[in-house]
Amino acid sequence: MKKPVSGKAFWRSLEDYAEAPEFMRWAKAEFPALLEPMSPPSRRSFLRLMGASAALAGLAACRWPKETILPFSQRPEDLVPGVPQRFATAFDYGGHAQGLLVTSYDGRPIKIEGNPEHPLSRGASNSFAQASVLSLYDPDRSRVPYSGGKKSSWADFDAAFGAQTTALAASGGAGFAVLAEASSSPSRARLQAEIESAWPNARWFEYEAISRDNEREGTRLAFGKPLRPQYDFSKAELAVCLDADLLGEHPASLAHARGFAVSRRRIDEGRLGRLYAIESCYSITGAAADERFPMPSGRIPALLVAIAQGLEAAGVALPSGVLRAAVSAFPPGESLPLVATIIEDLLRHRGHGFVAVGAQHLAEAHALAFAINDALANTGHTVSYLPCPDPERVSHSTAIASLARKIEAGELTTLLVLGANPVYNAPADFDFGALLAKVGQTIHLGQYRDETAEKCLWHLPEAHYLESWGDARSWDGSVSVVQPLIEPLHGSRSALEILAGVLGRQPADGHGIVRETITGLAGDKGDKAWRRTLHDGLLAGSAPAPVHPRIDGSSVAASLASAKPKAAGDLELVFTTAPDVYDGRFANNAWLQETPDPLTKLTWDNALLVGPATADKLGVRHGELAKVEAGGRSIEAPVFIAPGQALGSIALGLGYGRTAAGRVGSGVGISAYPLRTLADAGWSSGITVTGTGQVFKLATTQDHFAIDVGGREETERRRPELVREANLEEFKRVPDFVRHRSHDIELFSLWEEFTYEGHSWGMSIDLNTCIGCNYCAVACQAENNVPVVGKEQVYNGREMAWLRVDRYYGGDPEDASIAFQPLACQQCEMAPCEEVCPASATVHDDEGLNTMVYNRCIGTRYCSNNCPYKVRRFNFFNYHKNLTELESLGMNPGVSVRSRGVMEKCTYCTQRIAQVKILAKNEGRPIEDGEITPACAQACPTQAITFGDLNDEKSRVRELHQDKRAYSLLGELNIKPRTKYLGRIKNPSSMGHTEHSSEEHH
Amino acid sequence: MSTGLSENLSQDPRQRPTLVLGGKGFTEVTDTVCAVSERRKWPAIWYIAFACSLVLLGVLGACLTYLISTGIGVWGNNMPAAWGFPIVNFVFWVGIGHAGTLISAVLFLFRQKWRTSINRSAEAMTIFAVACAGIFPAVHVGRVWLAYWLFPIPNQMSMWPNFRSPLLWDVFAVSTYATVSSMFWYMGMIPDLATLRDRATGKAKQFFYGLFSLGWSGSNRHWLRFERAYLLLAALATPLVLSVHSIVSFDFAVSILPGWHTTIFPPYFVAGAIFSGFGMVMTILIPCRSAFGLQDLITTRHVENMAKVILVTGSMVGYSYTMEFFIAWYSGNLVEQFAFVNRSFGPYAWAYWTMFSCNAFIPQLFWFKKVRQTMLLAWIVSILVNVGMWFERFVIVVTSLTRDYLPSSWGMFRPTSIDFLTFLGSFGLFFTLFLLFVRFLPMVAMAEVRSVMPQAHGIVGEGHRPFGDYWPDSVHPERQRKPSPEEE
Repeated sequence: MKKPVSGKAFWRSLEDYAEAPEFMRWAKAEFPALLEPMSPPSRRSFLRLMGASAALAGLAACRWPKETILPFSQRPEDLVPGVPQRFATAFDYGGHAQGLLVTSYDGRPIKIEGNPEHPLSRGASNSFAQASVLSLYDPDRSRVPYSGGKKSSWADFDAAFGAQTTALAASGGAGFAVLAEASSSPSRARLQAEIESAWPNARWFEYEAISRDNEREGTRLAFGKPLRPQYDFSKAELAVCLDADLLGEHPASLAHARGFAVSRRRIDEGRLGRLYAIESCYSITGAAADERFPMPSGRIPALLVAIAQGLEAAGVALPSGVLRAAVSAFPPGESLPLVATIIEDLLRHRGHGFVAVGAQHLAEAHALAFAINDALANTGHTVSYLPCPDPERVSHSTAIASLARKIEAGELTTLLVLGANPVYNAPADFDFGALLAKVGQTIHLGQYRDETAEKCLWHLPEAHYLESWGDARSWDGSVSVVQPLIEPLHGSRSALEILAGVLGRQPADGHGIVRETITGLAGDKGDKAWRRTLHDGLLAGSAPAPVHPRIDGSSVAASLASAKPKAAGDLELVFTTAPDVYDGRFANNAWLQETPDPLTKLTWDNALLVGPATADKLGVRHGELAKVEAGGRSIEAPVFIAPGQALGSIALGLGYGRTAAGRVGSGVGISAYPLRTLADAGWSSGITVTGTGQVFKLATTQDHFAIDVGGREETERRRPELVREANLEEFKRVPDFVRHRSHDIELFSLWEEFTYEGHSWGMSIDLNTCIGCNYCAVACQAENNVPVVGKEQVYNGREMAWLRVDRYYGGDPEDASIAFQPLACQQCEMAPCEEVCPASATVHDDEGLNTMVYNRCIGTRYCSNNCPYKVRRFNFFNYHKNLTELESLGMNPGVSVRSRGVMEKCTYCTQRIAQVKILAKNEGRPIEDGEITPACAQACPTQAITFGDLNDEKSRVRELHQDKRAYSLLGELNIKPRTKYLGRIKNPSSMGHTEHSSEEHH
Repeated sequence: MSTGLSENLSQDPRQRPTLVLGGKGFTEVTDTVCAVSERRKWPAIWYIAFACSLVLLGVLGACLTYLISTGIGVWGNNMPAAWGFPIVNFVFWVGIGHAGTLISAVLFLFRQKWRTSINRSAEAMTIFAVACAGIFPAVHVGRVWLAYWLFPIPNQMSMWPNFRSPLLWDVFAVSTYATVSSMFWYMGMIPDLATLRDRATGKAKQFFYGLFSLGWSGSNRHWLRFERAYLLLAALATPLVLSVHSIVSFDFAVSILPGWHTTIFPPYFVAGAIFSGFGMVMTILIPCRSAFGLQDLITTRHVENMAKVILVTGSMVGYSYTMEFFIAWYSGNLVEQFAFVNRSFGPYAWAYWTMFSCNAFIPQLFWFKKVRQTMLLAWIVSILVNVGMWFERFVIVVTSLTRDYLPSSWGMFRPTSIDFLTFLGSFGLFFTLFLLFVRFLPMVAMAEVRSVMPQAHGIVGEGHRPFGDYWPDSVHPERQRKPSPEEE
């Protein structure tokens, strides 16, 4: 429908109008900036873009399906400037998606939250997803195509590659290969299949440095086909995690954490399940465990065999031959008391427990664990299996090895790299930098000009997921649409668009491809399913039903018989997934870099985690650079003394030591990949470590274990008062044990206290369900425009996090227990900070909040001195000074950006309170309980944080404040904090090696 | 027997020791003191010292410019230790600023006549120290350009300071102290300025001394008013000596921080202030008296008296340190106990023991007459007292802040080079002002010294001095009939 814009022409809809070529010409003349990639972006042109894309949000989702731009001349329905909108989308990394809900202000996505409708996340989201919005505005993202290291253009690329595709098509794609990062996108799978059928000679390789392929191979061995094991913590009375960080790094960790919280909440009925974690390196699963035992990864398969042996001895029938093969593959050695306890518990909870093995372990160990679960009748109850969406895929390690072989053999002429970064993270067996040089034409698509981009002929800027169409599946198989919220800032393209280009489709239309896939999957070519999916962020019914596979005992036995376990050495190096940068892809995200590691509290670095006794044996000190040698390769990395690290096991996080990550991530930490070979992808045994004597600065946000003896002893003395814990037995006997953890005296006030007529806000944090994952801290950073200060400033003790998660070690340093305590401003009723501010910059409001008036603050910092929690943060510099305009667009407009010299702190997300209050007032109704959720509470996967009105008699927070486990941190100071903690209950086995008796503090 | 004119260290009870040696009469005293500022050619040492001071002053200026243009982050302050060097330096300088007023006002009221030859320079030192002290709280705030919000100035923003904050009390305490001690210093100087005016040769000198001597003619009426006013100001300044440092100590004592929240702080701070003030007076006057030939006015006995004050106050400070420990133990408060154990055995133990040795142990050397009377030894001890008192403030501020209630928020304070340079720079300001003072103003209160000389009471030469009094009594009618110094 094309109409002239002159005269009294009318248009039926904005779509019609936008299609008019006259309009397009006019628009281009009026807004030339729209035609060019924003480099450098100007605020004006950016806002225009934003306005336009927001304008179109009302028409269909949030990005104009026709991919054209309209000026913001008429306000679309539902769009009120300044009122945030929320769109469902999904974020995929490592081949698994998280369903998200993204808040957008005037067309700018500024805050990422989990999609409450999504079965896996139910509103929670992890650090990577939350921080991904920062990457959208990252000025280091690549903006234009590069050819041979020089700036080029998309037109040049299209011309060059277009000619080539014609030639390739003629030969059926001979010599053409794709190296792709893992993706759960059904559309990409469809395009891949189309390419493979159109070009039969083309090859497709998929590589991820961190994968769950061992587990997948394990299911293939056990069940004959690759499956996805699903663990249900909510039903489990017992979970045995062997090097398996199910709460932390698993693709379904959010669901696991939620299920775990459900199991912990049974404490209200006086019951508690039990979680065992036997692991080499402390994980948050280990910290959450009732019983945690440090053990080198190399000995864990033997422990699993010992469990199997004990079970069979107790009459649990494993498939025939399995145990014999297992014992010969992984001789169990001497029996630990721990094993007997585990066996006893497994037998007691048949059908209500599970055993899980970590992704770094051999497929055979996984298969044995599946057989154990099967024999204990756990399958179908606490463990279920879902079909894999890509059953044909070969493992990542096989793929990368065969790609390397093909290149070596000179069989490839053109290599298209989709997002992968093999030059940085390929196994150390291959020198991918050199290999790429042997391929005639290499094309790299990536968000950054990374290590691989530098070695490729072409580099193409890849669109961020918030600016391009896509689709993705989560671990449970649910399909979500990746819905863009904004036009590509730099004219980048998505992988789907590039693949469509390979197929010769012009124009490569991401929206069309995704829509076709989704409507195809939905079996509904109409608009309804598509719109529903967009709205819900989830294709209804797309999650596959669990399958009920039969275990193939002979296959398991045969595989175990032929298993090639690693020769055990004295010292092993375990490669761990860094909770901050994953495999290295998030290295340029400053929020993530500055988020402390949950266990070590180390920022801006990785380090060799060494247990105290191991360090003594090796003669290395905390912060010393040490040389690690494995298989003739060596690196130098700083030593970090980590209590609870297994004796003889050293851990090093992957993903650091990038050389071309960008300004933030390059040169941060040490890369572990040079030591990581195909055979030793999980851990490397028989390494040697020698100290160099050089000192390396490590920036932690909390005093590490290596402080002076007096300080350490005092910390241990105070810990039971600060983080109040009890064992289940004690809790049953003394339900109000929290009151007996400190010597409370009768407190009275010298003053008449405030009374609250209206609201009286309060918070409750349940330490029993908190797993210390840090997602709340990242959410807080994103919501409240909390600045990033960099390694040097963290080292100087100037990190700005409003919310920190305190970690306390307890007990024997070799087998330490860990307690977490999220801590933000406690909004004291008798706030010591308010008393001492000479400028009246921090004052109480009539709803009980301890408010911080930035404009009034002159920065004497006295409030911080007088804060017993030390949760106030000071702007020692103008941290926002060097922010580019692009970066400043990512700021939350609902929260002031603080200037230099001003104190700041947690506000209980006062902007969210105000938003809901205004809404409720406009609608003339009272605020419902649970309607206001601060960012931290929203992000928490275990819902450990509850916020609400203490004056509301039916509010959940009030109920929790009156819970018998509720206590005030430092309540003896009579400052009356508004945040209360709920004591943690552990259910250790009768072996009782983990927890000290808690009676002593009576 | 007394050797009279050359020595006054005798403790012979039959005879009061003379305060001015060398058989000096009024004229000689006046000549000696005026000679310091009237000399045509100044010793090279003055120029060298002045040049060094100016350089340090420049360093201070550069540091403050850098600070104000960049942010508090140029210092080592961090999040547990939100206060660092600036507050340490502030308390240090305010403490030093205590000796002057104590000497001029309290010793005046107690009729300690030996004060007369040191009070002028001690008062000058007080004012310069308070000036140095004043810089730190002003620049240590995050937004220096808004520091005036600390004052209750009516404004269109309806802002009013929080009178519950000890920092605000500080603002008033220190500014009152600065005002009163400046007035006291200036007022006491008027007769001497008149003397300089009368002796001045150059036009400029005549003009400025004339201007600031406010037309002093030495008439009986002038003296009468002057003495009354001096007495009143002394009475006004005396409580300030106690109040200023008490209030400064409230910055700490009123907080809830373990190690700060102690009731012993006000007396302990006052004792410490007098201790450090006398330390600084001694550090400055011992070189000055020999550089400007004032040994007959600032005699060994003066130094010895100051040493005794240092010994007493040092012991009081030492007692306070010990008592803090006792109370921490006695209170049964484990957090408090840790604060003190951590002070003495934690990561800053070196600072604690530096403080303890310099303040509590080293001054004990003053039990020995030899140490009190040997200028070099006394001078070294006085310097160590200054060092120790700086560390006392460092220990209080840093150890308590870095390890308070939650071990999770514990940290370390690492000063930067800017921290050190700013502190050093403040000495530049102090010495620049002091060197200018000795260059242009009478550094010994001539009129007061003259009034405590035997000649003022009609006694010429050596011998029995019947009166231990001076101005306060001279307002009695019978005293007024005596010839005034000028008439004699």
